[in-house]
Amino acid sequence: MKKIKYICLLVFTISFAACDDRLEIDPPFAEDAESFFNTQEDYERALIGAYDLLQTSYLNNWIGEIASDNAIAGGESVNDSRGLHQIDEMTHGGVNDELRNVLRFNYAGITRVNYMFEFRDKIDFEGKDVLYAEAAFLRAYYYFQLVKYFGDIPLIVDRRLGIEEAVSIDRTPKEQVYAQIEADLQVASEVLEWTNSVKGRITKGAALALLGKVYLYQDKFTEAATTLDRVINEGPYSTITTTTSEEYTALFSVEQEGNLESVFEIQYTGVEGGSYGCLVCLEGNAALGFQGIRQYEGPIYGDGNSYNLPTEDLYNAFDPSDIRRDGTVLDIEAFIAEQENPADIKYVIGGGGHTGYYNNKYIKRLDELGAGDNDLTSPVNYRVIRYPDVLLMAAEAHNRKPSANDGLAQDYLNQVRNRVGLSAINVTGQALTEAIWEERRFELSGEGHRFFDLVRTGQASESIEGFQVGKNELFPIPQIEIDLVGGTWEQNPNYN
Amino acid sequence: MKHKLLILLFLLSGYLALGQNTITGKVTDQASGQGLPGVNIFKVGTSEGAVTDLDGNFKIQAGADDILRFSFIGYKSKEIQVNGRSVIDVNLEEDVTSLSEVVVVGYGTTTKKELTGAISNVSGDAIEERKVPRMDQALQGAVSGVNITTNSASPGGSANINIRGISTNGDNSPLIIVDGVIFPDEGLNSLNPNDIASIDIIKDATAGIYGVRAANGVVIIETKKGKLNSKPTIQFDGYYGVQETSRKLDLLNAREYAILKNEAFAANNQAVPFANTELGEGTDWQDQVFQQAPMQSYNLSVSGGSEKTSYNVGGSYFGQQGIVGDDKANFERYNARLNFVTEVFPKVKLTNTLLYSQERSSGISEGVIGSVLFNAVNAYPTEPVRVDGRFSYLNNVSDIINPVAQIQNTFNDAETNKIVGKQELTYTINDNFEASARIGYNYAIVDVKVFNPLVWYGPGKFANSALNENLDPRIINIGELEVEQGASVFESRESYFNYLAEGFVNYKNTFGDVHNVKGTVGFSFTEESSRILNGTGFNIPNNSLDLADISANKAVGGYLNNVGSSQGLDRLNSVFLRAEYDYSKRYLISGIIRRDGSTKFGPNNRFGYFGSVSGAWVISDEEFFNISAVDFAKLRVSFGVVGNDQISSYAYRANLGGEATYVFNDALLQGAAIGRAANPDLKWEETRQTNIGLDLSLFNNFDFGINYFLKDTKDLLFAPDVSAVLGTYGAGGLAPIVNNGDVRNQGVEFDLNYRATLGKDVNLTLGYNFTYLQNEVTRTAEGIDFIPGAGFSVGGGIATRFEEGFPIGYFNGYKTNGIWQTAEEIASSDVVQPGAQPGDLRFVDVNGDGEINFSNNSDKTQIGSPIPDFTMGFNFSLSAYGFDLSGNIYAALGQEIVRNYERQSPFANQMAYNLNRWTGPGSTNEYPRLTTEGTQNTQFSDFYVEDGSYVRLNNVQIGYTLPVKWSETIKSSKVRFYIAANNAVTLTRYMGYTPDVGSSGVLGNGVDLGRYPVAKILMGGINLQF
Repeated sequence: MKKIKYICLLVFTISFAACDDRLEIDPPFAEDAESFFNTQEDYERALIGAYDLLQTSYLNNWIGEIASDNAIAGGESVNDSRGLHQIDEMTHGGVNDELRNVLRFNYAGITRVNYMFEFRDKIDFEGKDVLYAEAAFLRAYYYFQLVKYFGDIPLIVDRRLGIEEAVSIDRTPKEQVYAQIEADLQVASEVLEWTNSVKGRITKGAALALLGKVYLYQDKFTEAATTLDRVINEGPYSTITTTTSEEYTALFSVEQEGNLESVFEIQYTGVEGGSYGCLVCLEGNAALGFQGIRQYEGPIYGDGNSYNLPTEDLYNAFDPSDIRRDGTVLDIEAFIAEQENPADIKYVIGGGGHTGYYNNKYIKRLDELGAGDNDLTSPVNYRVIRYPDVLLMAAEAHNRKPSANDGLAQDYLNQVRNRVGLSAINVTGQALTEAIWEERRFELSGEGHRFFDLVRTGQASESIEGFQVGKNELFPIPQIEIDLVGGTWEQNPNYN
Repeated sequence: MKHKLLILLFLLSGYLALGQNTITGKVTDQASGQGLPGVNIFKVGTSEGAVTDLDGNFKIQAGADDILRFSFIGYKSKEIQVNGRSVIDVNLEEDVTSLSEVVVVGYGTTTKKELTGAISNVSGDAIEERKVPRMDQALQGAVSGVNITTNSASPGGSANINIRGISTNGDNSPLIIVDGVIFPDEGLNSLNPNDIASIDIIKDATAGIYGVRAANGVVIIETKKGKLNSKPTIQFDGYYGVQETSRKLDLLNAREYAILKNEAFAANNQAVPFANTELGEGTDWQDQVFQQAPMQSYNLSVSGGSEKTSYNVGGSYFGQQGIVGDDKANFERYNARLNFVTEVFPKVKLTNTLLYSQERSSGISEGVIGSVLFNAVNAYPTEPVRVDGRFSYLNNVSDIINPVAQIQNTFNDAETNKIVGKQELTYTINDNFEASARIGYNYAIVDVKVFNPLVWYGPGKFANSALNENLDPRIINIGELEVEQGASVFESRESYFNYLAEGFVNYKNTFGDVHNVKGTVGFSFTEESSRILNGTGFNIPNNSLDLADISANKAVGGYLNNVGSSQGLDRLNSVFLRAEYDYSKRYLISGIIRRDGSTKFGPNNRFGYFGSVSGAWVISDEEFFNISAVDFAKLRVSFGVVGNDQISSYAYRANLGGEATYVFNDALLQGAAIGRAANPDLKWEETRQTNIGLDLSLFNNFDFGINYFLKDTKDLLFAPDVSAVLGTYGAGGLAPIVNNGDVRNQGVEFDLNYRATLGKDVNLTLGYNFTYLQNEVTRTAEGIDFIPGAGFSVGGGIATRFEEGFPIGYFNGYKTNGIWQTAEEIASSDVVQPGAQPGDLRFVDVNGDGEINFSNNSDKTQIGSPIPDFTMGFNFSLSAYGFDLSGNIYAALGQEIVRNYERQSPFANQMAYNLNRWTGPGSTNEYPRLTTEGTQNTQFSDFYVEDGSYVRLNNVQIGYTLPVKWSETIKSSKVRFYIAANNAVTLTRYMGYTPDVGSSGVLGNGVDLGRYPVAKILMGGINLQF
């Protein structure tokens, strides 16, 4: 009797102790976040992860236009991306999926960069400074997106946030965020080269141009002028002259990716398929299919979702002789009438609105289709900063800086105009400022800059119907995001 | 000397023999008069005994004054004094009160009488009677406290088992144990309902014997075993049935559609689409996709036993086709069972269980936007199915495709082969100790193949895989290369291997005749592992299903796409102890403690202790108790702590599972990024449950059991939305799993069973069970007001929430108060509703600020809950003169459903209720106007929430058993024919396909995305026994 008890006890203790050791297991064939960064390759791979989120900037292409006087939301119905329709009508509030995605995607990018910085000192290898310069640029880009949309946002640098902290973190004043952005871009611009043999890598030019833009958004015109001058004077860029609308439109084709006007492009490819279930997973540019012509059957263009439709206001703003009008805006009926068999061409008007115009810079074309679902997988790069943008920013900076240099400003402005066959402008002072602003619209519409330019230059309320001063300069923080940090953030002014 | 000894021995034996006589007799069943094999016969006060043979005959040596005790499971024991007789025939009465029923409690058994916990029992016969494809469906309405909701009624579809409410935002499925082997709940389809001998469901904290995995309750399934000393019995059961949809939605016909669309377009100042509205009925797309479909099942088994071995072996086939999708939706299952128990050495018993199953299934897209039924409901009736010899394109709606074409283009097959087995050795050391050691395993291989031909549903359709209607493949550019993307085939193989090794010792002893002590101590080690490998091959020649195999791919270089693999490994190491004591079976107390070490959790929280204390008082055994109507009365109390560890593996640490893909030099490069964020302090959910119960047996034929339970679950495990600043929303990123929030379930449940013999050959049983349940989230994480759940796909936004003070997954939206009738009414109202026009829904200003706020949540409130207040089941069976009638009715009352399947596309078809839309002042105060213009009417409001209460006749059956003298002519001991109907009647006010809208995600409960309707089945069958 006793023996049995002892045997039981013995068997027990042995099995017990032996088996507890067997609980010390690691996930099979899986890399672990804490034990990463052991080789140069690990660092390079982490950097690719940080680049990945750039591709979510298709949202900027939409919101920057739809919020402005350039475009309406469009789509299948007003309930199709309701958030975009609200932004279109300036009725957006704390419930907005698109704005929430802007917040989520850019913080995902920031977190991936910060993860790299957290392990910066683990090993050393040649080229590490370049790698980190690119990473710093990416962090600056993501933070700039956020500060542009939302103003004050939590600034997290060089570390990952723990889940405890994520429910108590505060918003950081935007001045501090801008300071970090500038610091990151300065590092990037010092370390990086003007050219990189690898298409798609960040260059010194991209860093300086973005830094110039960041200065401009803060009305730091002197710094902006100096910085942008370097891009113009030292950089490998030059204007490309186009003589027809088709040639101008072709500047946005796959073929002309990385051309002489290309300062910073977000890279896309059509080789990988995608689905609506995960837009953040896409390797193609979702903007083009969304902006395509609804159920279109005919030459040149592919069918799409009729989002982000240019307004008549934009179309009419152009001088009819400006090749950029038809290069930028597709007048669908006019286009069909010019074709061989107009009656065979079909398309459908979406319930979300119709203007008769489509974004001709970023639109699904038959010769640029990606893998299925090809509404989502366009291979066309998003030109975030083009050389004409740099010239116009530099012109504005020189025109608006305390000791204005209107001569140089005119020169930059006219470089942009000359290359599309338009005459030079010789005005100065405020008239020149306005000419530059107007030129920005003609040159850059359809690319997601307009709304932020209007806000930055104080023109939003006069140009955008429903725009409320003191409110709509910033987008509201999605209410759910406020809730998720414990309700401690104050909503942006006048959104409650 | 030797002689003397022999003589002494002889004398002694002679002396002994003098007092002993050989007594023979036969034990029979009182009702049928048939002999009962395997009845235990003991001489009271000794350990001497005998067992009846196959015919019920026995032989035993006993003295003239000895008392013999006859006992047999399921029968009332009898004690008979020999009184000098040499032949004693005994008939045993079936135990109607079932107090002696054996209940499996985990690593041991007890009887209903001695039970201290809250355990429900369902017999195999009750399962079999219901004629369901899947065993858990037969539990619906069978016992109290167990709620079954359906995820999909399609062939091979799944259901959810919830024991005593939804206690977590994460995984609510109970621990399922088949013959001692852990069985994943998603694998329940592989189990043949006919193989089941009994199901015991541990509902209270006495499930603590299973520790960290027992918080959602434990379902213990035993498969059929043979009986010792019984003749081989061959049993054949088969049925064949025809299924059809229990419901179709009431949609607009072509004429109604044209009129309403014209009205909607005109309201938005758009050209009306139909010049002529006299278009008749048009196409009924539902008729095009629904059809009658067969369901059939055949079982053959042999069971029996010799003196030392009993066996039960069998094989079966089950086949079910879908009521949508022709032969594209199909489920077939083959089962084989080899169970035997044998005494390998004296006192050493080997128990062998071996279950093999093969499942073959194919299905169509269901339950999501883009599914076949979604398309059938939204396709417009003015379009014929075919145009110009091809399927019509439905050009006016971009995201809706021809559902008939969709079915034709669907090709998928899955095959699961599975072996579940257990080998157990039980050594009876002596009268007090018994030691058991067992190995259980579960090995499954799942092969899936999906063929995606080149298809063209019309211009602009997202589902197109071809470039054009000629089915030319798309061309993609990889660098300079142009690559064709033809038809593709996806194949995957998943293999799962789980095993457990357990050893335990059971002890029992009685001291001083009244002090009964029982103990169980043991260990358990479990490992669960998986391997998954998959890939897609492109350019299958000829767009042909015949060549749909990766081996046939003609992709450049034979490259596979989307190649993936994954491995899983988890372990659980446990020890447990149970001690029981009772005084005269009158006062019972039991304690359980279990220590679990689980690899689901990190070193910070790897080990946990769980357990319970329970006690019972059999009041009816007290001397003072003399209520004659009450045969038995027992009060039970239990309290304990159990855990839930059902989360993905290694969730406590951050992995690099994120997608990190970017384009350099026009080529994709893969990097690394964090997938799930880490939470090193992750621990199990903990449920504390108190149960107070009372069991009564009345008037010899009523059984009544009632329980009150209070179940607090804290530190819920799930991955809620987290702040964007955590950075987890990149591709492949996952929010961390956290312990967050508390939930309380409390309720009252009771079971009432009545069993009566109304006359010779007339038997009646009635069963009623009732569950009242209150579910409330008692805490959300600090700073978080609510966790958003399922989306509202009609108008966007969130429909369900996890929020403190409300039931889990309650519906949150706008309240409405009729329809705005006139512009004056809008203008003079105290409440400003932006954009309101006559005919729009009139929302309620909940926060009283004088304005309806659409851009924030301040006017939203509770407008429903998916959790029923009451569920109940009613079971009946009546047999008389060879005829039998039985049935089951289930009711769930007090829950709501979100109507979430209507598509707001201008040309999509609509439900017929829109005929009652607002057309002018006074026309209706219920249904808003129709317009293609954007309105706030599609905001999530109570307009989209319907009463989901329902009552369903789950099963009704009429059978006839041939008189024995007829069946004997074919040498059969039993021949029974029957016809049965499943789901014949459903009473509900809900407009959708089915009110049984379960969801595998808790916050999706009651959100109806166009749920596959449950099938009505009419079947006929036969039972044969030889």
